[in-house]
Amino acid sequence: MSNDGGNIVVANDIEKSFGRGAGRVHVLRGLDLTVRKGEFLAVMGPSGCGKTTLLHVLGLVTPQDAGEVFLNNRQVPLKDSARNVLRRKHIGLVFQRFNLINVLSAADNVAIWLRVRGLPSDGRVQPLLEAVGIPHLARRKPSQMSVGEQQRVAVARAIAHDPDLLLADEPTGSLDSLNATALLELLRNFNRLRGQTIVMITHSPEAAAFANRVVHMKDGRLLP
Amino acid sequence: MGWLPLANILHHKLRSAFSAMGIGIAVCMLITLGGLSRGSLFEIAQRWESVDADLIVLPRGWGDNASDKSGAALADRYADKIAEELPQMVRRVVAVFTWQMKLAGQDQMAAGVDPDQWDALSGGRKISQGRLFDPRGDFGRWIRSKLLTGGTGNGEVIEIDEQDLSDPAHNGLELVIDTRLAEAGGYQLGQTVFAANHHWRIVGIVPAGAMARVFLPRATAQYLFGNGDMTRGTLMFVKLAEGVDPGPAAGAIAKLTGQDVVAVARYRGMLMEKFGIMFVYVDAVNTVAMIIAFLFIMITLYTMVLQRTREIAILKSAGASRTFLARQIAAESLILSGAGMVAGVGGSFLAARAIQAFRPLLTVTITWEWIAVAVAVAAVGAMASAVYPAWKAGRVDVAEALALE
Repeated sequence: MSNDGGNIVVANDIEKSFGRGAGRVHVLRGLDLTVRKGEFLAVMGPSGCGKTTLLHVLGLVTPQDAGEVFLNNRQVPLKDSARNVLRRKHIGLVFQRFNLINVLSAADNVAIWLRVRGLPSDGRVQPLLEAVGIPHLARRKPSQMSVGEQQRVAVARAIAHDPDLLLADEPTGSLDSLNATALLELLRNFNRLRGQTIVMITHSPEAAAFANRVVHMKDGRLLP
Repeated sequence: MGWLPLANILHHKLRSAFSAMGIGIAVCMLITLGGLSRGSLFEIAQRWESVDADLIVLPRGWGDNASDKSGAALADRYADKIAEELPQMVRRVVAVFTWQMKLAGQDQMAAGVDPDQWDALSGGRKISQGRLFDPRGDFGRWIRSKLLTGGTGNGEVIEIDEQDLSDPAHNGLELVIDTRLAEAGGYQLGQTVFAANHHWRIVGIVPAGAMARVFLPRATAQYLFGNGDMTRGTLMFVKLAEGVDPGPAAGAIAKLTGQDVVAVARYRGMLMEKFGIMFVYVDAVNTVAMIIAFLFIMITLYTMVLQRTREIAILKSAGASRTFLARQIAAESLILSGAGMVAGVGGSFLAARAIQAFRPLLTVTITWEWIAVAVAVAAVGAMASAVYPAWKAGRVDVAEALALE
């Protein structure tokens, strides 16, 4: 597949395996995927099919063994430092278990994300917390918040630097249905109102229903 | 915003406190032991430098090794010879007899000096309580007269007993001590103390800082500790005339007397050379303490990196560079070391006070130079301690750490 102008990410013939010798596990087997700008894409599939590995490859966290990834029409190099710079600038990540820094408040969790990216945090944090509906929790630490609130902080953190691509790995996996729905609505609103491109990994058909395109994975490949 | 290194330290209060305390103890040791070893020696040197003199004449061969010598070794006649033959060069010669006397539980250098030369030897310090020993020099005159006229010239042994020596008419067994010795020994004016096999009466107390802690009439010292030889002392302080260069003057005096002559300023160096090995031991102990303290910090930081692998992975997933992570860890190390430094410097002042309260004769000199050394060592150690944990943090595999979800 070739790259064209309306795509955020294009992954061509991606191979990824872990381990060595007889214990080598092929996780991605010639996977092709295109994510268009402004798209809310859900990737579904059974456990172990390679969803999270795909997310890590698209998020430039893990380099692929073979194949190529284009981000904003430019081929992503395999060199760590270059990938790091691209990730810092263009990618936002949301994890299933939120992965907030426990010793920092909600506001500081967002602020450090900005600092890591070399961006000023003054005046930017509170609007982000407002955008995810928790402006009143700025000073609370993760241990003082519900799981739903923690995931909202994680989303605020992930979009803090206005990324081109927001990748969410089972973002509702640790939430009850009420909080899950609220979070998915939040993501959908970001997609609709801000044009945020989102790729969401999920097991849940209910969650996938919030996306405007769903793809299915099996054995390291997308199903046609 | 909350600063991650500080937030981490505050989150792990007990562990952070132990780490800082480790540094604090090491810094405190560095400053206190350094200040104690050097302070006590420098205090002795300062006391010698307080004598109003430029040169010290020592018996030939003592040279640079004279810092702990005493007894009758140098003929008094050299004092007259110097004064008579080098009048343009020399303003004053003060002969001193030194001896060891055990007071306040430890050996003290006692300086025997003629009463009329007290002002020069004491550096102008006035007796703050009581009076000078044998103020009119009665004992010196009496003992010399007794030795000259008391015998028949037929080999008769002149017997001078304790009663003669302590006769109020002679004032022979009188001491002046300094304030620190008085405090250390709990000595009062008028008290009789037993030292060097005699009973002495404390007749005066002088502010600390004079050449010795114990002063007595030179004639008494010569008679009692110089085997009755009233013609010899231990050393002489020479005050040069205005504008005379000490170097050539020392050469001239050495040539004239055939004795060793050193500058008063050289005495500090003599002490350092004599007792310098002590600094090697103290510095070695300090080095070991600092290394242990920084290993402790390194283990703390390393443990922190292991415990926070996920957090580091999260930061890396956001694009945090190795430099950013290294800065966080170095900052954490510097904060812990900084807290330890503050505690250590404060503790060293408290330790100095405690030492001087319980052992008033010891001197702990805390100088800005030593504090600067401790701060520099702590800062460098903090950075060094952070290197391995920072390297380890930089190698955290994001995908692997996140896969543990």
